Formats: sequence, C-alpha cells, structure tokens
Amino acid sequence: MSNFKDWALQYVLSDDETAQSEIAKKAAKEIENTRASSASVGSWAASIQPWITITKQDDDNSDDDDDDSGSGDIIARAKALGFLADTLQALDKSLLRPEQVIRLVGFFGAMFSYDHKAGITASAKALRQLYAMKGFKPAVGVKMIEDVCKLKEDFKLQTAATRLEIYELFLSLIQDQSVNDELQDKYGTSSGFIVDILQLCQNERDPRNLMLWFKLLPIFLTEYSTSDEVTEEIFKAFSAYFPITLRNSATPIGITADDLKNAVRACFASHYKVTKLAFPFLIGKLDQGDAVTVSVKLDILKTVKACIEQYDNPQASIVPYINKIWNSLKYEVRNGEVKETIDATLDVLRAIANRLDGTKTQKFDISLLKNYIDIVVDDCRDDLANPTYTKQAGLLLMTVITTNIRAYTLESAAFVDIIRKNLRQPKSPSHTKDLLLLLNSTLKSRADLFKKRAEGHAEDEELLKTESSDHLVALYHDVYLPTWTGKSEETTSDVLKQVVQGLALLATQQTIRADGQISLLASRSVCSEICSLLTHTVTKGLALSQNDYSTDAAVQDEAVLALQSVVSTYTDGYAELVDRAKAEIEKRDWTAPSKHNLNALQDLLSRLAFIGCSRIPLSIALDDESPKPFRPLQHFVRLASAMLDLFPLSPLPTSEKESLANSYVISALHGSILHFRDACFEKFEPKVLEAYSGSDRNWIEEFRKLPKDWLHQLQGEEGSSEMVIKEDDPEIYRELLRISLFIVRHLYREAAYGKQAPWSERVFAQVANMAALVVRSLDENLQRSCNLAQNAFNFFFSEDLSSSGPSSLAPFRKLLILGILQGLRPAAMAELYAPQGIAETFMCDTSRMATVLLAVGEIRGTICAVLANKYKGGQNTFDPESETMKRVLNFWGEQIKTATTTDDIDPAIFEVYNTVAIHTLAGACARQDKNVLSLVPIFHEAIASPGPNGAIVARTIGGLVKTNELLTSENHAVVKRFYKQWAYTHFAKPLYDLALPTGDEDTAFAAGRYTTAILSLVSNCPFGVYQEDLPALVRLLITALNNSAASGDITQPQVATSLEVLVEILSNEPDALKSHLREIITAGMKTYEEAAKSNLTAGSKGNALARNLAAARKLTLQLLGAIPKKFEERHLLPYALPMQRMLAMASGDKSREARKVALLARENWAKVV
Amino acid sequence: MGKSDFDNANPTVLSVSQLPSRTQAKGHVRKGPDSKYDHILFPKQWWAGSSLNSDPSVWTSDEDEDEDLTLATEEPIDEQEIYDLLSKISDPEHPVTLGQIAVVRLDDIHLSPSPGERSDPNSLVNVEVDLTPTVNHCSLATVIGLAVRVRLENALPPNYRIIVRMKDGSHAQDDQVNKQLGDKERVAAALENDTLKGIISKMLETCV
Repeated sequence: MSNFKDWALQYVLSDDETAQSEIAKKAAKEIENTRASSASVGSWAASIQPWITITKQDDDNSDDDDDDSGSGDIIARAKALGFLADTLQALDKSLLRPEQVIRLVGFFGAMFSYDHKAGITASAKALRQLYAMKGFKPAVGVKMIEDVCKLKEDFKLQTAATRLEIYELFLSLIQDQSVNDELQDKYGTSSGFIVDILQLCQNERDPRNLMLWFKLLPIFLTEYSTSDEVTEEIFKAFSAYFPITLRNSATPIGITADDLKNAVRACFASHYKVTKLAFPFLIGKLDQGDAVTVSVKLDILKTVKACIEQYDNPQASIVPYINKIWNSLKYEVRNGEVKETIDATLDVLRAIANRLDGTKTQKFDISLLKNYIDIVVDDCRDDLANPTYTKQAGLLLMTVITTNIRAYTLESAAFVDIIRKNLRQPKSPSHTKDLLLLLNSTLKSRADLFKKRAEGHAEDEELLKTESSDHLVALYHDVYLPTWTGKSEETTSDVLKQVVQGLALLATQQTIRADGQISLLASRSVCSEICSLLTHTVTKGLALSQNDYSTDAAVQDEAVLALQSVVSTYTDGYAELVDRAKAEIEKRDWTAPSKHNLNALQDLLSRLAFIGCSRIPLSIALDDESPKPFRPLQHFVRLASAMLDLFPLSPLPTSEKESLANSYVISALHGSILHFRDACFEKFEPKVLEAYSGSDRNWIEEFRKLPKDWLHQLQGEEGSSEMVIKEDDPEIYRELLRISLFIVRHLYREAAYGKQAPWSERVFAQVANMAALVVRSLDENLQRSCNLAQNAFNFFFSEDLSSSGPSSLAPFRKLLILGILQGLRPAAMAELYAPQGIAETFMCDTSRMATVLLAVGEIRGTICAVLANKYKGGQNTFDPESETMKRVLNFWGEQIKTATTTDDIDPAIFEVYNTVAIHTLAGACARQDKNVLSLVPIFHEAIASPGPNGAIVARTIGGLVKTNELLTSENHAVVKRFYKQWAYTHFAKPLYDLALPTGDEDTAFAAGRYTTAILSLVSNCPFGVYQEDLPALVRLLITALNNSAASGDITQPQVATSLEVLVEILSNEPDALKSHLREIITAGMKTYEEAAKSNLTAGSKGNALARNLAAARKLTLQLLGAIPKKFEERHLLPYALPMQRMLAMASGDKSREARKVALLARENWAKVV
Repeated sequence: MGKSDFDNANPTVLSVSQLPSRTQAKGHVRKGPDSKYDHILFPKQWWAGSSLNSDPSVWTSDEDEDEDLTLATEEPIDEQEIYDLLSKISDPEHPVTLGQIAVVRLDDIHLSPSPGERSDPNSLVNVEVDLTPTVNHCSLATVIGLAVRVRLENALPPNYRIIVRMKDGSHAQDDQVNKQLGDKERVAAALENDTLKGIISKMLETCV
C-alpha cells in the first residue's frame, strides 16, 4: 500500500507528462487489482496527504499578502491533486461504488471552496471523470454544480485552460437528462443554479471557452423551463456579446470570428421564448444608423433570419414583430448601396414569407401571408412610379411575391398590373428599363417556382393548375411588342435588350393543365410571333447595306440567346428560323461577295448553329395540343440538312477568298456538332457518354442502304428512322455521333467524287477538322467496326460507284485522309501496318513527289507522322515481325543518304522529300521508336555533306521534336513524356564537340552545319532539355551571330532562331550568359545594325526574307533590352552609352512592333547610369 | 496637395474606350455567345499541323491578318503613335491620364514632313504638340509640357525635333510657358531639380 505514496511522490517530482500518465496508470491498475477495496482507495487518496496538510496552513498564511513563498508548494499540491485526477482518468469507469464516488466528489468539490490556487484544474478534471463513472448518481451532479459555483469571483482568476475544464464539466452535466430532472425538481422555474452559473461565468473572453459557453446557454433555454426573469438573464448573457468580433492573434487557435458569430447566432435562434427580447434588441442595433458597419449589419440580418427560420410557433413568435422588422429593413433596400446588405435583407424578407406560408407538410392559414404581403405592397406601390426608387421598390415587392407559390398566386397579377400601368407613362428611358427588368425578373422567378413545384406542399401544384395566366400572356401585346415597335432614337439598347429577354422568358413559361399535362403558357400564335420577331432581328444583318449601323450587336446577341431558349421549348420556331435564313441566303449571289456580306453570312450561320444545337430541345405541349414525341436531335438534323442543301454556295470559286462562303457552311455544321456535344456533356457525366460513344455495328455499311436525303426524311413528322429516345437517355449522344458520321461520309464522297470546283484547300481543311472531331469521339470498337482506317484512304468509297476510285486528285484532298487518321485510336489502325500494307506503301511512296508543291509535301508528311506515331508491331498484330516501321525508316534513311552524297536530286525537290522524311521520323520519335536511332549517323553525315541538300537537312532537323498539334492525347496519339529529351540526346548532343570552331579551315564548314542543326533542334525543345549544355551552346550561339553579322547574311532564319534561344536562356538562367556579356552585346548590336541597313520590306517578292529580318531586329532588341533586368549595373556600365545611342536610333525602326520593343529596351537601359 | 489646391477640381474625364486608338479601325469582331468555338471554326491558320516550312503564309487565311507580316511591314511613326506615347501620361493632379482629360489631342499633333512624304528615314522630322490645359490659368501647364517633352525625347529617335507648346489662347500666359518649354537650357536646368524630376517620373509611371 505504500506504493501509492511512492507513486504520488514520483508523480509530483516528475515534469514529463508521459511519465506522469504512466504512473497514474500504475496506480489505477493497483486499484483495479484490489477491486477498489475501501482500503486501497483510502490509501490511494491518502497518498497525497503530505502536500495537502501543509497546504492549508500555507494557504491561510499567504492569502492576504500573496507573496511567493508558498508557490513551490502550490505547484506540488496541484501536481498531487493531478495525480488523483489522472488516476481517475485511467481507472476502469465501472469500478467505483456510488458511495466512493460521493466521497470523492465531496473531496474534490471542497477544493472549490478552499483551494482556489492549486486545486481547481485537477478537481474539475477529476469531477468530469467522476461524472463518467458508473457509480455516478444524478443528485451528485447537482452537488457538483453547487460546489463549483462556490468559486464565485475567483473563477475569472483561473487560467483559460482551467475554465475550459469547468465549462466541459457543466456541459456534460447540463446535457444529462437525469441531472436535468434532478435540477428541475430541486430548483423549479426559479432556476437558482442557472443564475449561479451565469454569475460565475460572466465576463468570459477566451474564444475557445466562449464557444463552449455559447453551447451551454441555448441548452438552458431549450431544456429547462425558466421563469421570465431567468430567461431575460440568459438572454443578457449572450446578447451582451453581440455583435462579436475576434482580435487577430499571432498564435492561431483554430477558431474564427465566423465561428463565434455563428455560435452567438445559434443562441439567439435557440428558442422562441426570447422572441420578445431578441427582435427589439436586433432591430434596435440595426437602427443605430451610420454607426453600424457593413459587417455588423450583415451579422444582424443573418441573425434575424436565423431567428425567423428557427423559432417555433410563428404566429406567436414572428407575426407580432413583422411590422417592426419590415419598417426597419425596407430602408436597407430602398436607400441601400451595398449589395451584400441588400441581398441579406431580401433574404430576411423571403424567410418571413416562407415561414408564414408553412412547411412542406403543413400550411398555415393564408391570412398570415396575405397580411404580410399587404404591408409590403402598401408601402412600395407608389414608389414604382418614381424613377429614383422604381428599382428598389420593385425589388422588395418582387422578392416577397415570388418567394413561394402561394405568395405568387396571391399577388402577382396585381403586381404585374401596377408595372404595366407605369410602363404606359414611363418617366424616362431608364425608368422603362427598370420596369421591364422587374417584369422580366418576375417571369424568371415564376419559371423557377414552377420548376421547383414538386418540392413544396401538394397544395402548391393545385394552385398552379388553377392559376390565372391571362395577365402574363397579355404582356406580349400590351408591353413588349409596343415597346419594341415604338422604339425611337432615344430607345437605348438596354431597353431593347430587356424586351428581348422578356420575350424569351414569356415564350418559355410553362403551365400545368387541369389534367396534369405540362404545356407552354403562351399560345402557339404568340410563340410564333415572338419567334418571328427575334428571327427577323437575327437574320436582318444580311439585308442591311454596309453603311447601315442601325443594328446593335448587343441586341442581336441578346436575341441569339433569347432564340436559344425559345426554340428549346417552342421547337417549331427553329424550323421557321432555319427556313427563313436559308431563303435569305439563297436569294443572294455568293460568287464574289463583299466583305460585309461574308461577315453577315458568317455571323448568321454561326448563330444558327448555336441557337439550335447548344441545348437539347424539350418536348412540351402547345395550347391544347397533345405533346409531341421527344425528338432531341430535330434541330441538329434540320440545320444539317439545310447546310448540306446550301453547299456549295459559291460553285466556282477562283480564289481562297471566294471559297469563304463555302467554308462558312461547313463551319456551321462543325459548330453544330461541337455545340450539341457540349449540351450532351452538360446533361450527362463524361463517363456515361463514354459508354455511349461505341457500338459494334458497321454504321458505314448501314449508311449505304440509306438514301442520300436521309436527313430530309428524318425531319418528317414521324421521324421514321430516328430511334425513339427518352428524355434522360444518353443514347442521344450515340445518335448525334451517328448522324455526324453520316454527314462526314457524305461530304467526303462529295469531295472525292463530286464536282471538284467548290473544293478549295480551306474547305478541305474544314471538312477534315470536322471529321477529326467526329472520329476521335468514337470508341475503338466503333472505329474498327466502321472500318474507318480503310475508309480514310478510299474516302468511304464502296462498290456501288462505277468508277474504280477517286479520279484526278486535287492535291489538297490528302487533308481528308489526315482528318480521319488523326482521330483514330492506334488499335483501330492496326491492319494498316501489315507488311507492304497501306501504311507502308503510303509512307514510302515517292512517286509524285518531284511535281508537288512543298505545302502538299507538308500534308503528306503529316499523314506519315500520324501513321508512324500510331504504329504498333509485334505478336498478335498485323506485323508480327515488327518489320514494317523499320523498313520505312530505313527507306527514308537511304533516301537522305543518296540525296546528300550524290547530286542527283535537285534541292527544290529534295525539300519535299526531306519534309516527308522528317515528319515520318518525328511521328516515330514521339513514340520513342528505337529504330529511329539507327538513322542518327546517316543524319549526322548528311548534315555535314557539302551539297545544298545537307543544308536543308541541317535547317529542318528540328522538325523531329517540333510540337505537332495533331499528335496529342486528345487525338489518341502516342506521345512519350520525355521524347524530346531522348531525341535531343541522340541527335544534338554528339554534335556539340564537332560544332565548336577549331580554327581549322577544313572543319569550319562542317562545324557551321552542325551549329545550324543544333540550333534547329534546340529551338524546338523546352529550356530544361538543353540546360546542361548551356556553356557550349552559348558559345555556339555567339559564334553563329557573329558569323552571320560578319557575312552580312542576316536574312537567314537561323539568326532569328539563335536570338530566340538566347532570349529563352536569358529569362531562365541569366548566369550562363554572365561571362559572355560583352560578346552578346557586341554581337547583338552588330546584328541589329546589319538588319536595319537592309532595304527589304514586305510586299515585295522577298516576303519571307523581310519577315526574317524584322524578326531578327525585334528579337535583338528584346534580348538587349532584357539584359539590364537580369544583371547588376556594374556589369553593364561599360556598354550603357553606346547601347543607349543605338537604342535611340532603334526607336525609329521601320516596324512599329520593333519600335515598341525598342522603347522598353530604352527604358531599361536608361536606368543604368 | 489638398483638394482646395486643385486648379481645376472637376475636369471632364473621358473613358479609355472613347480615346482615339489604332484598333478602332479594325474590322469584323465577333464576340457574341455563338463565338465560343471561333478558334476552331475560323482558325487563323486553316491547317493545324506543324510545318517545317519557314513561310507560314501558305496556311494563313487572310493576307491582312498575317501577324508576322505586320512585323515586316514598314509603318513610319505617325500622329497616332505620338498620341499613344503621350496619352497615357498621368495628370499631376488627378488620377487620370492626359488623354482622358484631353490635354493631349490627336488633332493637335503634327508631323512635318508627314509620314507619307518622308523619303529618307534619317531626315529631320519636326514633331509639334499643342497642349490644351483644362483651365486657362493652370499653374501646372509647364510641368505637363515638360513631362510631354521628356517622354518624347526618351521615346523618339534623335532625328526628331520636338516642339511642345500651349495651344493658342488656351492658357493665360501661353507665351511665357512656350518660351520656357522651347528653351533647351531652361528645360535642362529644370530637369536638374529633384522635386520636379520626382513629379515627372511619377507622371510617366503610367506609360507602359
């Protein structure tokens, strides 16, 4: 038994918390071992005797003079008590018997009377442990509260942590139902213990403790029946803190000002018995006028809202105060300027209306709501005629009326009527605008209420069925149409925009018929009239002459948005629009249109696509008609067939410009797919749609059986072959892809076998881009089952055509192949790669190369790049030996070798060969095909070869790592993450040693070529790739610049390339240039001077050269100008003067762009003095 | 400087969009709700592939929209460019620019010989800028004139001769002010003054 004494001593002497808790655990174990025999508990309690006895005397002595003599003992005593508390914490909670608990409570409770210095923390902790004991009895809880309250004034002298313990204890006790019963029984409604606690805890300021305190106070209100006096005391206890703030503290405590605000707010809203205190208090605070800051105002408003929403029994708790609240709040909106407070105020007003309406299950008597609305209407009605207050008064009215369906049906007709009357005699255009805005907002709110009708009480839906809607339908003829037709010079576009918005809102309003069927509120004739009016606005651009500026783009854009929403419900409107637009377009001659007409056409077609296809149309009945079947793709089909009818607008274009009209038609098709795709993605999860982007059917085969005018048939009333799709069925996406593929196939066949004249490069490219979009959206199975890889090369040719394939190939038709290939997934292309198969034949085909344009070579090259990139050989593929790609690469290796070692091939022709070769390699490079490496020596030799062909290779080798927009993951290309690094290491790195000048005449030529090649590669790599070669690279760059400047050959593209790389290095790692500053500055200045001397300008034949020159000038200025920002002045001083002189000259550069850069450079250098 | 010290406490202020600018002349701008995919549907280069070819014009849709070519086009310094240099200088009193309060006006900037007549790029060009103070007793007119001068000297090549004046009749003492601004010695002396230099560099801060 003496163990306890030792442990107590060890505990008191220890300063380590873990060690202390170990000791306490040992003591607890010991007590548990004896099954808490009286002897062991007694000796455990007695173990701290040495510290307690001294304490009492000590405490008495030092009570008055408060000297420090006893402080050591106080600490020891506190620790000794802590030993007991910790032991209790570690002890099995079921062990102690009730009488033991009572005795211990007595002991610790006494501490609150005697030992205010040392005993409180440990005692509070011990009491909390004892509360958790099985042997705890409710009556003991009452005693605990009474004991703790004896602390009185000394409570606030305790540390925050100690007080926290006490709050925790209170919270546990007060929340305990049995203790609650005991307390009620003992104290009744006078609730003396509450008063004691309130007195004890007043003046709390610690945020963490306050959070508990604010948790405690509402419990008094909700769980205890208190007399009015006590209720008022409780209210005072928390309202004294309102509005609460929190000082910024250096040590974050994890509690924010918002936490505190919410906690106080919860106190206010906890029970409606404080209602007669809370509302006058809060409104009184609000009415203090300018003294209240915005954040306090928000706090008040949110608190009022919380009270309104949470108080029970609104008839008693809220109704009596409505007048008071309204009278104070209305000014916040009427005269308010801060958006946040206005919004918060409206929230409160809305909360009142909702509370008076009732709940989802139970509605209150309608008179409550009606009286409230009447107050609001009476106050605001007259303000609507006063332009200064129209907006605010309207906002108040509208907010209250459109809060819920009952309020809306009660008062909306009267409200709309007031606005209508005011609109007949508007005071100013802005008055008209405000009134229209109110009307539109009301319509919008009605639509929202209608949408949410199912969430409310069943009665709400019934109300909507019987709602009178004549006043709304009449708005078209009474308000919107007159304002639109009566527009004058003074009518601002804001007013017109409001009219357009209103029309859309009116046409899309829905209503519920008596039989439960949803239909449009406006009749067919009104919808149709609205549509015609908007259609006219959108299509009139074509009819206007170039100098007619009466069309306001903003109003037109608004009309586009309006039509977008109108035709999604009134679906017949879109057919009308498309037909009208089509007729307007067909009326005109598009052979040589003016720029103005082309712009109008571009706008119109782009808008048509957006209006009809950016939303999935709904199926809503009209008037008394029965609902039509859901046909989500009807607009898309309508537009597509109209566009296919229109194409080509310009049948015989003689230039790219004249083919613009044709390309706009294709853009409309492309745009409609993009928009509809977006609409699908908005409605369904991407994951869901992924599953619907495939099929194992061969759509292409199915298309063969369809008539050419299939799309026309789809438009028919029955929509015969269109599948029946339900509203929430993602099948709609697959159907979009199917029809899109049909369109692509149609256009491809037209392009390949139809009349060639309308097809310019631009139109080919447009169709190809569209095809790429459609193809890449399909999944692998579908791409395979439709045999798209083959179809790419035969343009969807099939045996039903008599000719044996495309005849006289327009050179740019290759773009069509590219369109499909770029979207295919590698696995869907596998069969192309069979040995001697299509891919190999295509990639090694040099038959027509000697005669084609370089641009065509680029296209062929890019196709090769895609083919080389998506190649896969090996087992279970069509190329089991992995030979195909190796052969292709070797073929091109040989070609390069031959062309650079002999003089057989003319450089102009070799340029085309080289383009295809580099592209093919680039495709394989992105995949890090090891076979590419076998070509490295060939390329290195080719670069150094003396002929002009070697120069071409050196200049273009960077194409291997040039970023290609077609090789992206979106296009299912295989792009390894570090392929640029890989290619750089193999192609560029070995050249550095060879490229550095040695002074030897023999190697100088090759060195120059190597430099060109390195530059070509480096300029297409990100900085990180060549970072480690910076020292050598910088020397190369400077030499290259000096050589070009010295030879006067500034027009070469590598000059600009070198400068670009230098600018890149300067911005990423300027230190690499530090030791070369003199050389860089001299070379830069020299380069600029040389470049400025030349008289080459654009417009002459030397466009490309002039561009190189201008780029060289601009880049030099950019490089030189950035230097002062990167280096300390002492490095720059020697160059400042000549540099400033040169830059002064440069600010008279021929090109405006270059002058701008020079100006910046001048500013930077002016600071160097 | 307190509010009461303003020579003109309430000048008429134009919004930035009202000022003359080069971009206004640009043609068809599409920014409606339907223009979301314009970059795909109406690309500048109608083919997106990477090109080894150094001449991008092969793939560009419109001759006059070729950006690289604008760089190479010869565009001599004109009045608009001078205006752009000056209009962004801040007013010493108000947080607005000289362009916004119409102290600097495009019509009051003259180049001789005019940009079209110049044959030799290095020949002497006179730049005459007439300033219009917001009120005719403006005590800061000299400071503004000085700032305009400094700005032009820092931005124009050496063959441009700069003449800054108060517009006829726009200032009560325009002769004196003009004399001050035209006298090289006095301008140089003024720029030795640290306070003045401070004010001017503050005014020029907004010219970026």
